[in-house]
Amino acid sequence: MLKSFKIRQLAIIVLLALLVFLTLVPILFMILSSLKSNAQILGNFWALPSPARWSNYIDAFHSIWRYVVNTVYYAVSGSLAVILLSALSGYLFAKKSFPGKNVLFLMMLAMMMIPSVLTLIPSYVLYKNMGLTNTPWAIIISSAAGGQVFGTFLCRTYMAGLPGELFEAARMDGASEARVFAQIVLPLSLPILATLFIMQSVGVYNDYIWPLLTIQDSSLQVISVGLTIFTKQFGITDMGPQFAAYAISSIPLLLIFTFGMKYYIQGMTQGALKL
Amino acid sequence: MRRTAWILLAILLLLGIAPSNASAQVQWSSEGAEDITSIAVSADGSRVAMGSHGSKAVVFDQEGQRLMETTAGNVITAVDLLEDGTLLVASDDRHLYAYGSEGQLLWDSDMKRQVKSVSASTDGSVIIVVMQRNKEVVRVDAATGETAGSYPVDSILKMAKVSANGLWIAAAGADQFVYLLDKDGKLLSRFGAGGQVQSLAVTNDGEVAIGTNARQAELFDKTGTRVQSLATRDNVSSIAFSMQEQILAVSDLSGYFYLFNTDGSKLWESKGSQIGRAVAFSPDGRILYAGQADGSIRPLDVGSVIADAKSQAKLRLIYWIAGALAVGVLVTAWLIYLKKRKRFGVFKAIWRSRWVYAGLLPSFALLFIFMYFPAFSGLFHSLYQWQPGGKTTFIGLDNFERMVRDPYVLKGLGNLMILIVTGLIKAIIPPLIVAELIYHLRSKTLQYGFRTAFTASMVIPGVAGLLIWQNFYDPNMGLFNHFLQLIGLGSWAHGWLGDPNTALWALIFIGFPFVGILQLLVLYAGLLAIPHELTEAARMDGAGLPRIIRSIHLPLLAGQFKFLIIMGLIGIIQDFNGILIVTGGGPMDSTYVPALQMYYAATKFNDLGYASALGVSMFAVILVITILSMRFIRSSED
Repeated sequence: MLKSFKIRQLAIIVLLALLVFLTLVPILFMILSSLKSNAQILGNFWALPSPARWSNYIDAFHSIWRYVVNTVYYAVSGSLAVILLSALSGYLFAKKSFPGKNVLFLMMLAMMMIPSVLTLIPSYVLYKNMGLTNTPWAIIISSAAGGQVFGTFLCRTYMAGLPGELFEAARMDGASEARVFAQIVLPLSLPILATLFIMQSVGVYNDYIWPLLTIQDSSLQVISVGLTIFTKQFGITDMGPQFAAYAISSIPLLLIFTFGMKYYIQGMTQGALKL
Repeated sequence: MRRTAWILLAILLLLGIAPSNASAQVQWSSEGAEDITSIAVSADGSRVAMGSHGSKAVVFDQEGQRLMETTAGNVITAVDLLEDGTLLVASDDRHLYAYGSEGQLLWDSDMKRQVKSVSASTDGSVIIVVMQRNKEVVRVDAATGETAGSYPVDSILKMAKVSANGLWIAAAGADQFVYLLDKDGKLLSRFGAGGQVQSLAVTNDGEVAIGTNARQAELFDKTGTRVQSLATRDNVSSIAFSMQEQILAVSDLSGYFYLFNTDGSKLWESKGSQIGRAVAFSPDGRILYAGQADGSIRPLDVGSVIADAKSQAKLRLIYWIAGALAVGVLVTAWLIYLKKRKRFGVFKAIWRSRWVYAGLLPSFALLFIFMYFPAFSGLFHSLYQWQPGGKTTFIGLDNFERMVRDPYVLKGLGNLMILIVTGLIKAIIPPLIVAELIYHLRSKTLQYGFRTAFTASMVIPGVAGLLIWQNFYDPNMGLFNHFLQLIGLGSWAHGWLGDPNTALWALIFIGFPFVGILQLLVLYAGLLAIPHELTEAARMDGAGLPRIIRSIHLPLLAGQFKFLIIMGLIGIIQDFNGILIVTGGGPMDSTYVPALQMYYAATKFNDLGYASALGVSMFAVILVITILSMRFIRSSED
């Protein structure tokens, strides 16, 4: 009995390990190929890179660092805007009562139901008419406007659970509304804000179609689009530097997930289950 | 009273939506003229001259009656008319001719080289000529035809134009450089065009418009700074200014005619039956004379188009004022009503919460401008032929009708069905299996380890992941074909993405073994939430593992399944990232989906109304799915 149990556990582990391996094949392949030259890839496909060509990474870095920096900048600015807007609106919807509150909240929720296919093209025309295309604002504003809807929703749920007595006590002691918000509400909501920030930045970092539509200037371009054009732009024909570029483009995400995986998963499942 | 209001409203609506076409009148033609090379209109509009490939120069009056006709020894490259009715004709027979208003030859000047262009100020005080393979703009005396001076530049010139008031001379070189000179030949600016210059025009203020073979018309100010770039569908064949209205007419080699405002907005666009070779405005700007490839002139009445563009702006203002007034009246009425009922308490409450509203203002400003407005704009414009900045024409359901007939959409729908079915299978089965496997692990550490290992695949940006997979399918260097060779199935090696029969399936296979993180986490969390007593009790009763999964796990995970199915459907219908990057819809139409066709309609074909209609249709489908499934979920939970 015990033996069959152990065998079964072992079978599960082997099966899972195989699946993990298959899931991670693209990453492993990327890392191995990023250290090879074209001749190495064509000559002996399955061999480990020998000698490892670290210079691929230097070539790749020179071509794509600009895109990575741009994207990180857009992602951080957009996400900060989302946090500020969502925290404020979320707090007001959670803890204040005012005429029209439900109608306004519903108006916000309704936008969560609108799929991006409907708004993609008209948004593009709007941004173009406003002269926002080909500027960083195209990415930052669109991520702020879109992200705050879901963000307000998350923050409202979270902040409704904060103890109201705390705010009352602070107010009794003569704290202004702004102070209550800045010194009590924001610190208490840090976990949900971190979740929001991480989800939002990952979203911006992975976005492809919107920057493709709105940004033409190569010096403003984001990494997703950059990865599809840098080979032509810099005349790179070797596969090695291309894979090295993919690897470099993963670094910001790697950092985010190393430090904030918990928050990301929280946000993803929370958003998922509440809908 | 009520009827009048309705009539007024109807008139307003009609004014707003009545399509205004530039009405084509009869064509004027001349036997044996062949391709028209140049058109000129006299300052008073009474005469229209044309020069043609068939060595003929013809002058018409404004009714299209032929006033005079003359023949040169070779192709006529350019014509121009002075205000006294004098006709200047430049020809490849190396001569420059001048004819009086009655058709008599005034002078005939042998220029020794093929004359490529002639242009004159209205009064004839400045006449300039450009000759073949020459780096000079040559001044010619109007009375005698003698050379009166020459202004050298750095490039071999193709053509030159002088402004109507004679103050500015623009000359275009064969090397894409354009020179702006004053009337004494002093160089004012020199600038590069975005392509080979095909046509040139200069205004009385020294603004230069050029048409290039890079499918663009470009507008430069007198300092040589590019002010506007106007996209056309094909290489520009001719370009002309209307003096008073500051409107630019452009024709291209695909037979399209355009009117642009100098601020860059397109006022009008139309396809002619013939390719337009030369365009010129009547002095009042109401008629655009289009010289066509078959040697005929087609006068297009564009006055209505221009007047329309102007009145539309006025009309819009009137709409706004009327709207504001109506809102004002309604609000006052409401206030009076409330006051009568003594219900002003609401306002006190609103006033008391004014800081709350102020706090919500930024959020809602963004929400309305960047979310609500585009959504409604899309719904609205799906009924229009939409040309932002220019003419937007109401065409009812035409876009939707076209969609039903669009072969790419139909093919795309078929592909979408396949993608939905496989996508849902991918979204449920592999994550469920992995979730069950992890759930049945005894060791907590291993559970956590495997969960993290699966999520690790997220560190690659989506696009990088797609590009890596694209590389896997490469016929020569790809992982797949190498793997097949390794296991002795080398004969199966294949250009997976290049073959229409396998491309779609190759796309579907991307992401193998399909353990989606979201799906895995949702299902795993669902499994963890199942009370232990339930499974224990079942086990006591002798139920095996398959039985437990089938009778306890699956029913209790129903909510999660429904959620994943809805999200999956919505996502699959909208997604075209992968297809756009990996195959671009090809080979042929084998991997099209409706969303991709929407993207192409907007970006490649600038067909924004049609793209909106596709977006609206997908929105409708998604809405129906959401509503149906919401119902479905509620009924099953009750």
